[in-house]
Amino acid sequence: MSSWLDYTINGLIVGNVYALVAVGLALIFGVSRLINFAQGSIYLVGAYIGWVAVVQLHTPLPLTIIFVAMVAALVGLIIERFGLRPLQNSVRIAPLLATIGISFVLDQLVMLTFSPNPRALPSQLPDVRFQVGGGTIGPLDLLIAGVGISSALLLFVFLRYSKLGWAVRAASQDRDAAMQMGVDVNRVNQAVFGIAAALGGVSGLLVGMYYNQIDTAMSLQATLKGVVAEVVGGAGNVPGAVVGSLLLGLVESYGVAVFGTSYRNLFAFLLLVVVLVLRPNGLFASARQAPPEPLTGTFIAPSRPVRIPRWALWVAVAVFGVLPMLPVSFYVLQTLINAWLLGMLALSLTLVAGTIGQVSLGHAALLAIGAYTSALLSLTLSVPVGLAIIAGGLMSAALGTILISPSFRLRGHYVSIATLAIGEIVSLVILNWESVTRGPIGISGIPPLSLFGYELTSPTSVYWFSFAVMVLLALLQARLLSSHLGRSFRAIRDDDIAARAYGLSLNRYKSLAFIFGGFAAGVSGGIAAHLYSYINHETFNTQQSILALTVVILGGLGNVVGAVVGAVALVGLPEVFRIAAEYRILIYGIVLLLLVRFRPQGLLGTI
Amino acid sequence: MTTGAPEPLLALSNVNTFYGQAQVHFDLSITVGRGHIVCLLGGNASGKSTTMKIILGLVKPRSGEVTFDGASLIGLTTPQIVRRGIASVPEARRLFADMSVRENILMGAFVRNGREAIAQDLDKMLTLFPKLGQRLSQRAGSLSGGEQQMVAMARALMSRPRMIVMDEPTMGLSPLYVDRVLELIRTINQEGVSVFMVEQNASLALEIAHEAYVLQTGKIVLSGSARTLKDDPRVRDAYLGGSEAA
Repeated sequence: MSSWLDYTINGLIVGNVYALVAVGLALIFGVSRLINFAQGSIYLVGAYIGWVAVVQLHTPLPLTIIFVAMVAALVGLIIERFGLRPLQNSVRIAPLLATIGISFVLDQLVMLTFSPNPRALPSQLPDVRFQVGGGTIGPLDLLIAGVGISSALLLFVFLRYSKLGWAVRAASQDRDAAMQMGVDVNRVNQAVFGIAAALGGVSGLLVGMYYNQIDTAMSLQATLKGVVAEVVGGAGNVPGAVVGSLLLGLVESYGVAVFGTSYRNLFAFLLLVVVLVLRPNGLFASARQAPPEPLTGTFIAPSRPVRIPRWALWVAVAVFGVLPMLPVSFYVLQTLINAWLLGMLALSLTLVAGTIGQVSLGHAALLAIGAYTSALLSLTLSVPVGLAIIAGGLMSAALGTILISPSFRLRGHYVSIATLAIGEIVSLVILNWESVTRGPIGISGIPPLSLFGYELTSPTSVYWFSFAVMVLLALLQARLLSSHLGRSFRAIRDDDIAARAYGLSLNRYKSLAFIFGGFAAGVSGGIAAHLYSYINHETFNTQQSILALTVVILGGLGNVVGAVVGAVALVGLPEVFRIAAEYRILIYGIVLLLLVRFRPQGLLGTI
Repeated sequence: MTTGAPEPLLALSNVNTFYGQAQVHFDLSITVGRGHIVCLLGGNASGKSTTMKIILGLVKPRSGEVTFDGASLIGLTTPQIVRRGIASVPEARRLFADMSVRENILMGAFVRNGREAIAQDLDKMLTLFPKLGQRLSQRAGSLSGGEQQMVAMARALMSRPRMIVMDEPTMGLSPLYVDRVLELIRTINQEGVSVFMVEQNASLALEIAHEAYVLQTGKIVLSGSARTLKDDPRVRDAYLGGSEAA
């Protein structure tokens, strides 16, 4: 492929694929004000069901498409009925977290069933290409375009002329009023999830055929691209989602043409951030549209935190402090070191997501910034490791806050999307900025932990070091939250408009929270880098961001002690029960789902 | 109107409602006679709108009974209640802002079948609300408050309800439209539709109502025929918060 026409065709075809995902997201957002993070998992399921149909059942193409659409729709209906409907009267954040949990569970089930190795999904169309102007086009391109256009037309006819379609439109504009017209909102939700899932599943099938290959990493990428396209077009706006998708496809394709393949995703997320900053309601939102519904007050489950007497905390610190002197195995120490590192990240996230209410889905980026800063400083400039780690924390605090600052004026789900995108951007910059980060090769030979010239290589010393740092950060954070600053943070979380009316500067307080949180996360990443001795752009990924979020919810959002307890529980329990590594993510997903459903305030309660 | 109380169409008896720990209704009992206009008066936070939500099944009472035409509404979903023959004109109209006026009115007929009868009723609405004729293809959100109120009323009538519940139908309207709305409520009622309306504007509401109830912090403090309540000084007192009233 060389001509611009080729890149245009490719962009439009890929855009069509995104549209199938994004339209489903837009429908669901319209009716439920929910960003369905499980959409990519349904796309993944669609691809694998397609593989079963093509490779094992040898179905002809039309039958393959229908089969995939039906199975995917069924999965969508199950998600709606059992995952989301029970949460209808729950806090606003609950369904969002539930879709994240569902996506973990679905991805892992697919991985366990089909193994994580990529599989070949043969296209069922002849591999010929026709000359069109200066470019070429193949039958599969035409099929994808055809499926995209006909789905859009069918959807248009459904929304405009069918009774259920009217109900969907009415419910997406005013749910309560629609109910008062006799619209059964549960049926509308079912319809919307079924349609969204069918489209998403078919999209996965087509992509698999397009690249001749499927693997389980497709899921998150699809969700991200769909979300980007949907937000670009205006959340909940179905035609907007189609245009947003085509635009995204073109931007990516031209970006690849100019800079190379590894820049594809970078362009996608930059487009998202630019749109979020300049037109948070999407490109096509008219000025009259109300700003995104405030998700205040009920966004986080209110609860009475569990009171833990101060002496009990000190006893716990003492017990864990003397633990290495007792006859415990290295294995236990190793596990707990991981828990302390995760605990630092959780402290950071519980402050940002819990106390000030900015639910970040890109927190691993802060780890990455800290890790790379500390590793590079100690390797290339021979900065002492202790200082390098602190520098890593400071760099995370500064850079993290600057990067996140465009999202300060966003609210609720939009913050989550923006942070997710910023997290991806950081990882992509690390991948592409080879002169500094060494790109995909990663950094190896990072010096081990040391303090004042003494190398900390024994598990005992590493344990003490990480534990001490975590306790210190926790104490600092507790002190911070008991000051007027903590109150201001919570005021902003509970009602940012009221907080502003009382003279609180949102930017200043959000910055302060991210500076402090960024420091804690950066230090955690820095320590991890010296511990692992090798890091690359995938060491700190979205999965870790979600794991941290699960920890924080498990402990109770905003709860400092809860963050540490959650980290120990989530790292420790799978070890105690000797759960095989490949089942762990599945367990995390299930824990998240159960928490959201039965104890949204977490173990120790939100503060 | 007949002097004797007609057979009740809607009856709330001993309803107690809670929002979390806070009690909103205390043993609330209200009846709406068949063919009557009944008005629920009260100040802010007296529990008026919640009463409407109880009838529509949007809020569930903790105890008490709600019956419509002799059958209990407790445990039914809002759409089921709408299908029993109760239509609503919600507070602040709540039109589907991005749908056209025609689509909004037709949404009112969502529970009905039969294209022709629905089309006929749409024509009927245009004679009842002649101004809407030129606005049919306009976005509902672009109409003025008064016009939106007309659409909301037409929308409610399209389900051919036996009863309409209205939440502050005159709120935020110009005096001209207030008169027009009250007149229309009377017209609707004369065609056999019972009306239950929640209002803050007592003197206006009492002009068209048959009976009225005065609600104060969740309790009925006064009730009776509109004619007797109109001259009762306690109506005004109750409304402005009892003893605090000037």
